[in-house]
Amino acid sequence: MGGKELLGHWEEIPHTADLAVRVWGETLQELYSAAGTGLADLLGEVDSDANATIRTIGLEALDAEALLVDWLNELLYLHETTQVVYTSFDFESLSPTSLCATVVGYPLAKRRAYIKAATYHNLAIERRSRGFEVVVVFDA
Amino acid sequence: MVTIHEFEQIGPYAWELPQGFDRRMRAPARIYGSSGIVDAALADRSVEQLVNVAMLPGIIRFAMAMPDVHQGYGFPIGGVAAFDAVDGIVSPGGVGYDINCGVRMLATRLDEAEVAPYIGDLATALYRRCPSGVGEKGTLRLSSRELDRVLAHGARWARERGYATDEDLARTESGGCLDDARAEAVPDRARERGLPQMGSLGSGNHFLELDVVDRVFDPETAAAFGLQSGQVVVQIHCGSRGLGHEVCTQYLRRLQGAPQRYGIEIPDRELVAAPLDSIEGRDYMAAMAAAANYAFANRQVLAHSVRAAFEEVLAGKVRDWHLRQVYDVAHNIAKVEVHSIEGKSRKLVVHRKGATRAFPAGHPELSGAYRAVGQPVLVPGSMGTASYVLVGRADSMALSFGSSCHGAGRTMSRHEATRRAQGAHVLERLAESGITVRAQSMRGLAEEAPEAYKDVDEVVESVSGAGLARKVARVHPIAVIKG
Repeated sequence: MGGKELLGHWEEIPHTADLAVRVWGETLQELYSAAGTGLADLLGEVDSDANATIRTIGLEALDAEALLVDWLNELLYLHETTQVVYTSFDFESLSPTSLCATVVGYPLAKRRAYIKAATYHNLAIERRSRGFEVVVVFDA
Repeated sequence: MVTIHEFEQIGPYAWELPQGFDRRMRAPARIYGSSGIVDAALADRSVEQLVNVAMLPGIIRFAMAMPDVHQGYGFPIGGVAAFDAVDGIVSPGGVGYDINCGVRMLATRLDEAEVAPYIGDLATALYRRCPSGVGEKGTLRLSSRELDRVLAHGARWARERGYATDEDLARTESGGCLDDARAEAVPDRARERGLPQMGSLGSGNHFLELDVVDRVFDPETAAAFGLQSGQVVVQIHCGSRGLGHEVCTQYLRRLQGAPQRYGIEIPDRELVAAPLDSIEGRDYMAAMAAAANYAFANRQVLAHSVRAAFEEVLAGKVRDWHLRQVYDVAHNIAKVEVHSIEGKSRKLVVHRKGATRAFPAGHPELSGAYRAVGQPVLVPGSMGTASYVLVGRADSMALSFGSSCHGAGRTMSRHEATRRAQGAHVLERLAESGITVRAQSMRGLAEEAPEAYKDVDEVVESVSGAGLARKVARVHPIAVIKG
């Protein structure tokens, strides 16, 4: 799957206290990639002229929803401990219960939001006309 | 869609959605507040979330929302629910990610005129000594062994290290230590996040504030709390930092399979729950208590830093720069407490998510002077607006398992707040009101603009009218320090 451009999309939707995004993509890879991009955009702008940080992420979960939460929380954990925002995702494998991905990130240049965690709140990946779609609420 | 007409008004400030509203509800859902408060709750998904809480198995009496209720995830913010401590459940989503987020108030012996000449220097010293921002390192780097002691002993650890007085501990909820904590129940990654962050404020709505007492409603109780008109006080709002977030994340993950394993029906995965008397339930309670202890210790170390800032700026310049603790309360926590249910004493696990304990005079869990008058209930308003000190009322035990509101409560998303106001304008307005600000992020200031919150006066009127707590004093800010 390496090198394929992922075309997932995301948009922020209103939430009184925290942050919520609607994410969609034709495939699960696109969905997960779009969710990662959405998270990165919420966190802020990166310094893409700085040295890139590359990490490998391997996860297993009960189902695709739990895997999505794990994926986003893994990116948040790496962000908090390294101050790097991961903006590019290459999935070596992805099933509804496991993933292995190489992620590339850059140092945060300008923060937009502080995010504590991705939540499971009303989480359901649904099949719609444009592919997979999900709403993720972040504790901010 | 729920409307106010489906609620039964059971008192001037109490509204109940009957259990029959949804066949999956196992108890009624109750909101405390004026009709305006209920209207605001109906404007977002608060009520839907409260109804979800009412569906949890074993819920005792009713699912409740305090007057500062607003939409959260899982529980609504301002949500309170109790379950039997023997055969009931515990739900990490009823506590949230910032375990034992809470508020501490310290009182000076100075009035505004004495502090005014030094307010800028004080704000700068506080900003420097109390690090803020996500991932920001704290003033202490703990060793792994020392972290074990923090997790087991909370603010008592801080006293051993010279960061606390005996009076500080006596004036902290649960003495600043939950005894059920087990350090080994805290996942490794949570420990890793906790090691560098002790003594840090964090981000979001967390803050440090200098305030002046501008109204005293109950002079006798205010005196017992060490408060009087014109006095300068300090508020610290923060929690268990990355350690607490990671404890919640890891246990929500671990409990995802628990509903199926134990036959627990849940309406939302964020409300995953396990029997308290199960390996998952016991481990979560022990880890949550350890994270709560981290938060008590963190606010204590921050209080020490605040005292150091006051000494640095004011020693030799004012008659007395010392600060005494008024109280420290948790507002995201699950605690085992004894409550009277239909005339019988029962041990319950009370979940408070954005709600403050409000125990009245005579409650056996209160110690020292507060046993006689009731515990202080600290209600910070939005940035730049008033905050309140209330006292627990006996009625609250029957109404809300001894709980009250925890703040003003948001009404506007952060996105909408930043769309409507720029940080620079918010800063300008605060300055025009005579408030000194030290903030890391202009965007953060815009997100916390006062108009993004409910009117704290209306929220407190509802708390008081509903009988949850009684007004003691009001304070207004003169300096705000934010991440």
